[in-house]
Formats: sequence, C-alpha cells, structure tokens
Amino acid sequence: MPDIGGSDLFVLAFGDILHYFNPYTATLFLLALLFTGLVIASRPERQLDIAFGGDAYYAKMTTVSEMRFRRFMAIACGLASMGAMASGDIFNFTLFVSLVGITNVGIVSAVRIRHVLNAAYEYGIVAMVATLPLFGGAALILGTTGTLSIQALAAGGFAVPLVGKALLALGVIGEGMAPFYAAKAEMFRAPGAPYVIMCSLSSLLIFLRVVEIVITI
Amino acid sequence: MIEYLVFAAVFGLLLLGIHRKVIARIQIRPGPPIWQEILHALKFSFKSTWVPKTASSALFVAVVLVGIGIWSAALFVVLAGESILILFAIYMLHKIVEHGYGLSSGSPYGKFGGVRSVISAASEIPLFVTIAAIYLFTGSLILRDITAYQDIHGPLLLIAPPVALAMYIVILSKMPYGPFSIVESKELVSGYKTEHFGAWRAGLAVTDGLKTFVLLYAFVAIFIGAVPFWAALIIMTAVLISLSFVCAVTPMLSPFDSVTVQGIITGLMLIYAGCLWWVMS
Repeated sequence: MPDIGGSDLFVLAFGDILHYFNPYTATLFLLALLFTGLVIASRPERQLDIAFGGDAYYAKMTTVSEMRFRRFMAIACGLASMGAMASGDIFNFTLFVSLVGITNVGIVSAVRIRHVLNAAYEYGIVAMVATLPLFGGAALILGTTGTLSIQALAAGGFAVPLVGKALLALGVIGEGMAPFYAAKAEMFRAPGAPYVIMCSLSSLLIFLRVVEIVITI
Repeated sequence: MIEYLVFAAVFGLLLLGIHRKVIARIQIRPGPPIWQEILHALKFSFKSTWVPKTASSALFVAVVLVGIGIWSAALFVVLAGESILILFAIYMLHKIVEHGYGLSSGSPYGKFGGVRSVISAASEIPLFVTIAAIYLFTGSLILRDITAYQDIHGPLLLIAPPVALAMYIVILSKMPYGPFSIVESKELVSGYKTEHFGAWRAGLAVTDGLKTFVLLYAFVAIFIGAVPFWAALIIMTAVLISLSFVCAVTPMLSPFDSVTVQGIITGLMLIYAGCLWWVMS
C-alpha cells in the first residue's frame, strides 16, 4: 500500500468494510469535528452592508427559524464530512459526499435573498448532475475489481481503471462548492458565517479526501 | 516543543520584516526596520481587545486559535518529516480560516476579503500538481522518504525545476504586498483582518509568522533535501528575498486578473503533470 497519508492509527472493520484513520484523515476528521462544534456554539453575525451612492449602511438579520434550519443543515453537513473522512469504503464515501452536496444546498437555500437563492439553485443542479460521475466511478471500480474497500484496492493486485478514478474525482468536484464552484461569490458572502463556512469547509474536505483515495487505490 | 513554535513564529515574523525592507529599498524608500513585524505582534498583544457588536463572537475568536493551531500542526508535520499531503491539506484549509476571519466580523471589508480568499482557490491547485509530480518521482509523500530520495538522486530542484516553480508560485500567492495579495488590498482597509484588533491581531501575526516559516522550510526540505538547520535558514532567507523582488516590481492585480493569471498557471501546471505522468508510466 503506498504511504500517502502516514501509517494507520486506527482501523475498525465491519466485514470487508473498514473505517480507518491515518494522520492525514485524522487531521481532516478533527477539523470537521471542530467546525461542527463551532456551528453548534456560534450564533450568526449581523452582517453590515453598504448602500452604494451614499453614506448609509444596513444590517442583514438572520431570523430564528432560518438560523435553526441552517444550523441543522450545517451540523448534518459536518457529520457527513466526518463520515467521508473516516470511511474506508468507496461506496460509503460516495454516499457521504452526496449528503455533503445536499446539505450544502440546504445551508444556502434557506437564505431569503434572491441572488443567494439563484446561486443555490444553480449549484443544486451541478450537485445533482455530479452524482452521475460520482456513483458511476464507484460502480466502474466495483465492476472491474470486485471490491470497493480502499485498503484492499491499495494492497495491490487490482487494475483500478483510470477512468473510474477520474469519474470519482469529477463527482467530488461537482458535489463540493470548493475549489471550483467557489467562483460563485454570491453564496460565500451570504449572512450566517458559521454555516457558510461549513459549506466551504466540507467541500474542501471531500476534495482533499478524494485526492488521497485516488492516489492510494 | 514550545521552543520550536516560538522560534518559528519569531523567525517567520523576522522574514516578513525583511520582506518589507527589501520591497522598500527596491522602491527607493527607507522602509521599516526588519524587526517591525515582531514589534507589531508584541504591540498588539497589549492593546485593548474586544469583539465587535456585529460579530459572531465564538467564531470570531475561534478562527484565530484555529489559524495558530493548524500552522503549529503544519510545523510539526514538517519537522517530523511526515506526509506532505497533510501540509497540502492545511494550506488549503487556511482559505477556510481566512474566510472565517472575514465573514465572522459582519464588516463589509472583512467579508469581501474573505470572499476574495475563497474565489482565489485556484491558487492552491499548483500545490496539488507539485505533490502529484513529487509522488511520480519519489513514490512516496512522506517527507523523510523524499529527503532520502534526494540523498541518492540529488535535489528535486534540479531534477524537476517546473515542480519547484509551481510551489514557488504557491508561496508567492501567500506573500503580502505581492501580485496576488487581493485579500488584503488597501481598498478593503486590511481585508479579512480589518476587524481583528488587539490580541486577536497579535494572533493573526503569529499565524502569519508560522505560515511563512513553514512554507519556506517545506520548500527547502522538499526541493533541496537534508541540509543543516542553519543552512536551511539561510536558504529560506534567500528564497524570501527573491520573492520580495518579485513583489516589489509587480503591481497588485485586480481580483479578476489575479484569478485569471492563477487559473492559467494552474492549467499549465496540470498539463506539465499530465505529460510527466504520460512519460513516467
């Protein structure tokens, strides 16, 4: 098995389905855990905006009902991110990644601002379309090798198709906003800092994890 | 271990002071003394500190600690010779921390600084290319193995100069007063740092010091190999001065141009990595 993220620190086996931590995935998991804790502990900021053409400014308020929904989605997103970091099975990983995509849309679609809703709608379409290469890549790997266990694939003896890895990476890129969908600044400047940050963090984490998976298998 | 952290933070701040001094002298200005950044960090430590009324309090404070935490972890990863993939992850996660600095305050200046940080995420991709290319040559991403490879085959700087150039550009994109420093440009006051003052700003200074030290030390370890510690410090300073020259003679790009140029560099680096993989596989 190529040494990518360091030696295994912990392995939990359920048959041939593994959950494991190495220094790399443990670091990512801890960050997801830390920011999930922050989502629970933080209240949204009162974002100030400038009214162009004058000296006036106005504050954007996040209502309690909106805050509750977005906090729930952000916590779900954090849990899905942690699952994606700990999973040693490609199918479980793809499920957690698609859950990250859904919760990311949920976090921003609760904001009652037109440009944010438009961006969330567009991102939702991208995330839905991305499930095809995401699960397609996993299916291709399973069809070719007969297993989806990352450690079994990494141990060698399997010819993992390059197109399968590419589809998996493409799916993750589509599901997460960062790094490529990050150009849609409308979503990243929405009020509700703890929740918006969870969007960018989770999509970055799944991207970082898929890099490790693609190099390892 | 605390002595390593203190040394790295202070030396990193000293490097940032040298950076300012070199830029100033190239632009025919006297510039601040080279220990100015250290003095700034000390000064802010004793200034009055509070949290703005509009801020998300817990997040506003926590991101400062997270910033120091992730770069402290990065320092130990590099010193222990662990996986450079962790370094890559921390480098990318620094974007989230910058986003957090900016967005948590509620200030429009901070917010736009944070948003600019996120939209320039393309600047991280050359680091991924660096890592992919290093893996193709050495077959490992553990820093100890990369150093051992260089002991046998010579510095990676000579074996794969474009890979070193990719990481050099990545470090350049994190340098203050550089062409890609859109997150702290003056039309946003201090960008994402605008509302963090007092002890919080001192925390940001420590983060900047650690970040500068870690990135330059990692550059030396990855591309030159095992050298005595004092030699590593001299090489780091030389690399920093070369970066200062680039920053001094290059105007800060507009956000659109900055992202476009970083995107083009990323595209070229991906083509290089693809060619490398094609030739070596």
